[in-house]
Amino acid sequence: MIKLNDIVVKFGDFTALHDINVHVKEGEFFTFLGPSGCGKTTTLRTITGFIEPVSGSVVVKDRDITHVPIEDRNIGIVFQSYALFPTMTVYDNIAFGLKIKKMKKPEIDKKVREIARKVDLSDEQLMKAVSQLSGGQQQRVAIARALVTEPAIICMDEPLSNLDAKLRVQLRNELKQMQKEFGITTIYVTHDQEEALTLSDRIAVFNKGYIEQIGTPNEVYNFSKTEFVCNFIGDINRLSGPVVRQMIDAGAELKETWHNYIRLERMHVNVEAQPGQTVVSGTVTRREYYGLYIKYYIDIGCQTVKVIEKNDGVRIYEEGQQVSVVIDPRDVMAYPPGEKGAAS
Amino acid sequence: MTRIEDRKLQPETLLRIVGVAFFAYLFFGFMLLPCLNTLTSIFNTKNAAGERDPLAVIRFFLAGNMSKYVWNSLKLAILLVITVNVVGVSIVLLTEYFDIKGARILRMGYMTTMIYSGVALVTGYMFLYASDGILTTAFKNAFPNMNPTWFSGFNAVLFTMTFACTSNHMLFLRNAIRGIDYNTVEAARNMGARPFKVLWKVVFPTLIPTMFSLTVMTFITGLCAMSAPTLLGYDSINPEIVRLAGSSSADEAFPQARAALLSIILAMFTIILLTVLSAYERKGHYLSVSKTKARLQKQKIDNPVWNVLAHIYAYVLFIIYMTPVVMIIIFSFQTYSAIRMKKLDLQHWTTINYYGQEDYEYLTNRGKYKTRVGSISGVFSNEATLGGIKLSFILSALAAALACVIVVVACNYIFKKRNKKSGVVLEYALLFPWLLPTILICYSYRTYFNSDSVWYVGNHNLYYAQNVRLLIIMAYTVTKLPFSLRMIKASFYSIDEELEDAAKNLGAGGLRTFLKVKLPIILPSVLAVFALNFNALFTEYDMSATFASSYGTSYAMVIQAMCADEGLYGYNVNASGRRCASTVFIMIVSGIILYLVYGVGARDLGERLEARDRRRKRREKIAAMFRKEAV
Repeated sequence: MIKLNDIVVKFGDFTALHDINVHVKEGEFFTFLGPSGCGKTTTLRTITGFIEPVSGSVVVKDRDITHVPIEDRNIGIVFQSYALFPTMTVYDNIAFGLKIKKMKKPEIDKKVREIARKVDLSDEQLMKAVSQLSGGQQQRVAIARALVTEPAIICMDEPLSNLDAKLRVQLRNELKQMQKEFGITTIYVTHDQEEALTLSDRIAVFNKGYIEQIGTPNEVYNFSKTEFVCNFIGDINRLSGPVVRQMIDAGAELKETWHNYIRLERMHVNVEAQPGQTVVSGTVTRREYYGLYIKYYIDIGCQTVKVIEKNDGVRIYEEGQQVSVVIDPRDVMAYPPGEKGAAS
Repeated sequence: MTRIEDRKLQPETLLRIVGVAFFAYLFFGFMLLPCLNTLTSIFNTKNAAGERDPLAVIRFFLAGNMSKYVWNSLKLAILLVITVNVVGVSIVLLTEYFDIKGARILRMGYMTTMIYSGVALVTGYMFLYASDGILTTAFKNAFPNMNPTWFSGFNAVLFTMTFACTSNHMLFLRNAIRGIDYNTVEAARNMGARPFKVLWKVVFPTLIPTMFSLTVMTFITGLCAMSAPTLLGYDSINPEIVRLAGSSSADEAFPQARAALLSIILAMFTIILLTVLSAYERKGHYLSVSKTKARLQKQKIDNPVWNVLAHIYAYVLFIIYMTPVVMIIIFSFQTYSAIRMKKLDLQHWTTINYYGQEDYEYLTNRGKYKTRVGSISGVFSNEATLGGIKLSFILSALAAALACVIVVVACNYIFKKRNKKSGVVLEYALLFPWLLPTILICYSYRTYFNSDSVWYVGNHNLYYAQNVRLLIIMAYTVTKLPFSLRMIKASFYSIDEELEDAAKNLGAGGLRTFLKVKLPIILPSVLAVFALNFNALFTEYDMSATFASSYGTSYAMVIQAMCADEGLYGYNVNASGRRCASTVFIMIVSGIILYLVYGVGARDLGERLEARDRRRKRREKIAAMFRKEAV
């Protein structure tokens, strides 16, 4: 569906994107994930045509659109700020693109009302100014405006970042639902790992203008290809030398000189160790209560590790309490030193 | 990075070429060349022997009394900075910071200078305070030993301009004080600071950048003062320039070169001050770092003595601001005899100063009665007054609109080419007139275009006959460009860049994006700038005086003429009354424009739709009531 072939983008002397290669499948929800300034929005803007690459090509449905003007690409965009025209009503905002296509009034009206219904906007809301709508409703207008012209692809640039936490979760689910209903290929930009993991079919993790890894949420989270991805996605413990040595002594196939990481939920407190697992004892120094789970900071002598335990309401450990921590070497993700990732 | 652009020669590209040509024409033709001509004319003087003597006028300046005008202007500017800041800061604090009873009414009084300014204000003050003025006459009757000429020369100019020049304080300092995060005040109080300590140590420092800008602008206003010194009789630079510009070398030594030299001196002062201002602005401002800014709450003055004194001070200022306005409104309905006697005649009220004509019978020095037909006439019946108002209205509206259009188009280009040299060059070109005093530009126009050899205006003499109106429009427009640019550029910053991208993505071209998306967003600001420009130009005096001619008699000049020959030989009998009426008319026009722009125009689409809804509901309610009654 969309192919980015060896895309290079430069801003003066600074290279913002280095040989980006991505292949997005038809109907896929594909996410560009990464920290600020990593090149994810630049890649999106290259696809939409706001930025022309120095080299490489953008191919959509086997058509090279690298040098096609923005308005002729048939790609819808939902902007971070929604970019709704403040001097127009909701109706006029949605109809804007159709009017430019010089469609007839009845046809415009039909299409606007149809899409409004699909994104759950009432007739009354259509006649309102965008400033009279809530954040969530504004987002729906932005989606409707992007979809009404029936684009082949829809691109979303951090569309949930302006909303409060609760609404973000709610709209995240609606967004996924809508994407499924419309079946439209979606490219989504975010720096929020949770958003990326919950929404995406596949994720491309960006770092300093390079793609570190492309994979499903499970691949990216549990089988992080590079140390950067492993560190960027979710919270993680880097195991110190003495712990790794203890695990090697117990038969684990780890290298002490490598950087060894383990996710918080893969370690367990006060459980019986299985063969091959390593047990270290420590003291709870801090406890963070999240409701669904509890995060413990446990001093194991050579370092403090963070462990997440499901909150069952029974096994809750107090600060200062002596506990044992069980680590399974198969859960350790190891990376050779000096190879931080694609960007290094 | 390269942006994808259509490389074909489209209408937009053609428009861009036309635009560049227009701006080049405007800058070189109406800013640079006339002013350069003035500059060079200083060095084109000839001595008594008819030989070219480039330094003659400078020697004349150093030897003669020309420097007196410079010192007088400087004296006025320096003292004005002190008095305007004292009054300006006082009125803002009294209405916005301290809890003073009746602050709303006080604010309205202090803001009257926004609709009542320029020559109308000066003549209004003269009407009250001149030696034969209403209030001076009343005071003289009460205190016979009082000096009746107290309101003349420097004192009168300083007094009038002090109260006339506080509009900027009410606009900008008020906004600055409203922008203060109240949490900072509370924090200071919490740490034990007393109210005046908070004012001095927390509030004032945040106002310093605005105060500095206002101080510089006030200094320049004082330096370039024109209507007050001319009408109240004070020898400062600008009136002297106008006098010299109209003089001939048969009467005095190289008047034009002297006028040019004085203009250049003014320009030098202006350039220095604006350089200082921009250097200061570059240092940065005190910005509130608060993400949850609390709205400023008015501070109670706990000490009862200070509280009473503050209230007295506030209301004394209010009286000073309001008296001319109220008196002018009242006397606009008084008969010419009441005005001439400087006494309020509660028995006889009239609308003749507004509308209608009456004959005037007077006794000649030969002991005969004579009748002047239609010698008493209202604003809307007096051809000269109405003509002045009409001319000023048309010229001001055209120039204000032209300045806005030019600046809007320019700003669109500047923002597109923000990081390119062409954008910066255009911006500086439009700010160029700010470096020059208005009088220099007008004087330059008057001398440069008073010839039929300027090829780029079709070899027409623009100072001749009706052409002078075109010259006035150009001068009005050019002088309003820098202000318009600063204000409208600020509104362009409020346009979310993603809006342009969104429109482009939906298929809109540059022109359509500008007309349908960007322009509606900035329109309230553009209209506000138009209104402010219009109001300032409508009663403007400096340029009118420079271009004064039978075809360029604007409202300000009509008012000045009315002051001069009231009742002479039975003519213009009710000139003062008509002047009051015309001032009232202008206050109403200015007030309506400001209300439409700030009150109605500033509402966003949501507020307008809500208001429409409210109106519809009200109509339905009334209709329902009628239906009920009918049943």
